[in-house]
Amino acid sequence: MAVASSPLIVLEGIVTAYEGADRPSLRNVSLRVGPGEFVMVGGPNGAGKTTLLESIIGMLPITCGSAQVCGIDVKKQGTAVRKRAGYVIQNFSFDPLTPFTVREVVMMGRYGKLGYFRRPDRHDAELAENAMKTLEIEEFADKPIGTLSGGQQQKVLIAQNIAKEPEIMLLDEPYSNLDLYSREYISTILAGLVRKGITVVVVSHAFDGLPDLPIHAVVMNNGSITLDRACRAAEIEDIVRTTSQVPVAHA
Amino acid sequence: MLEFIIPNIILCRAIEAMASASIACAILGVIITKIGISSIGFTMSHAAFAGGAIGLFFGIPVTIAAVCASLFIAVLIGPLSDRARMSPDTTLGILFSMCMAVAIFFIAWMQTTGSGMNATMLLYGNVTSLYQHEVYGLLVVSAVAALFVIVFYKEITAIIFHRKIAESTGISTSPIFYGLLFIIAISIALSLTIIGGLLIFVWLVTPAAIASQFCRSIRSMFFVAPFVAVCISVAGAVAGLSFALPVAPLTAVIFAAVFAVAVLLSPMRRITNSKN
Repeated sequence: MAVASSPLIVLEGIVTAYEGADRPSLRNVSLRVGPGEFVMVGGPNGAGKTTLLESIIGMLPITCGSAQVCGIDVKKQGTAVRKRAGYVIQNFSFDPLTPFTVREVVMMGRYGKLGYFRRPDRHDAELAENAMKTLEIEEFADKPIGTLSGGQQQKVLIAQNIAKEPEIMLLDEPYSNLDLYSREYISTILAGLVRKGITVVVVSHAFDGLPDLPIHAVVMNNGSITLDRACRAAEIEDIVRTTSQVPVAHA
Repeated sequence: MLEFIIPNIILCRAIEAMASASIACAILGVIITKIGISSIGFTMSHAAFAGGAIGLFFGIPVTIAAVCASLFIAVLIGPLSDRARMSPDTTLGILFSMCMAVAIFFIAWMQTTGSGMNATMLLYGNVTSLYQHEVYGLLVVSAVAALFVIVFYKEITAIIFHRKIAESTGISTSPIFYGLLFIIAISIALSLTIIGGLLIFVWLVTPAAIASQFCRSIRSMFFVAPFVAVCISVAGAVAGLSFALPVAPLTAVIFAAVFAVAVLLSPMRRITNSKN
């Protein structure tokens, strides 16, 4: 897919392999994503969608190819990339006795940017408060995160990443724990981020309630990208459904 | 240091040493228990135990040998724990068994040569023949542990919350984790001759476990756990020396009793009767 302005994510033939695995989980993946794009990544289970996200922010080792995110070489400076890109993980569960309040967890989104020896100041506190208001979770601010429902915890993690003020926001199955209203609400928030010029990359199996924006559709199968093209929100479900079965159809 | 209020020099040294060891172990124990790496503490305490036994056998100062052994195991544990595909249970199980075997081997050998009495100090500790410099060493380690928590508080709390999420926010978690292992190794090794290789794990885990029965925030745990550990350790030292009982085992039993009471009294398990 053509990217007009200079791309924020540039992957050139990357290969990612888990330690001890017989074969790589991502094979020869190339992708270019520009600022302010809304990217939906679809595909069957085990296609490599989560691996793609974690390769983009340098949490998994890229064994071949090159990856530049926000102009930074991911292979050499993964931590620097993660300071500028948000990532909402898929599998999480917090013990009810976890000794952290929602406010503390949202504030943790700022820690990487602050570096080792700086403490959060008033500005950081304001960003955390605003993020909680955006996600409508300010009423839970002083509750331990473990006492919230799965959907509420999901919102806390999204707020944590919004407080980070990322240039790129990666979300892995952000709708999985949410009710219909919350899905639409989160979509609206993500659309707001896109309008501010933030690139949003969503891995999801749920395509209802997506924002009415041009969508950069990416379909993965068996560790490779099998489709990479622009579409409308109404088309994405059909595209993913049909392309997931097709071995190679790079557009 | 406390001679002006405790004239009995043996009791004074014992209280100073137990209190200092308690502060370091309890502070680190909060991190260890909350990250869920108790088995690392367990393995390192037995590494210090093995190092101490080797030192005793070859006539090397016990503390130096224990520090070297703990640091060696810390260097092994760090990379092993970092590798996602390595089962921590398996690797720590192997390291723990190896340390225990080495310690028992040398202690058994020393018994055949008639120096087994010295080796019991490594098992259960000894607070009656401490030097002032040993107490100072422990105080310095306690201060380093406290400073480590103060300086890296936000990174430590983020790792305690969820290491992967901490990593994704842009925190380099490995240097913090390795620093933690280093301080645990030093603290355990210096506490070995006072508390004993078989009991030191009690000091690492129980104060944090007691604090977690009452504290809802991690910050309060960092204050309550050392406070509880110092109170119980000082009480154990006074009771043990007053009634000629082994101090470290007695204190370990008091820790267990206090923990049982804390569980019974803990508000964390209370179910509200409120209808609203």
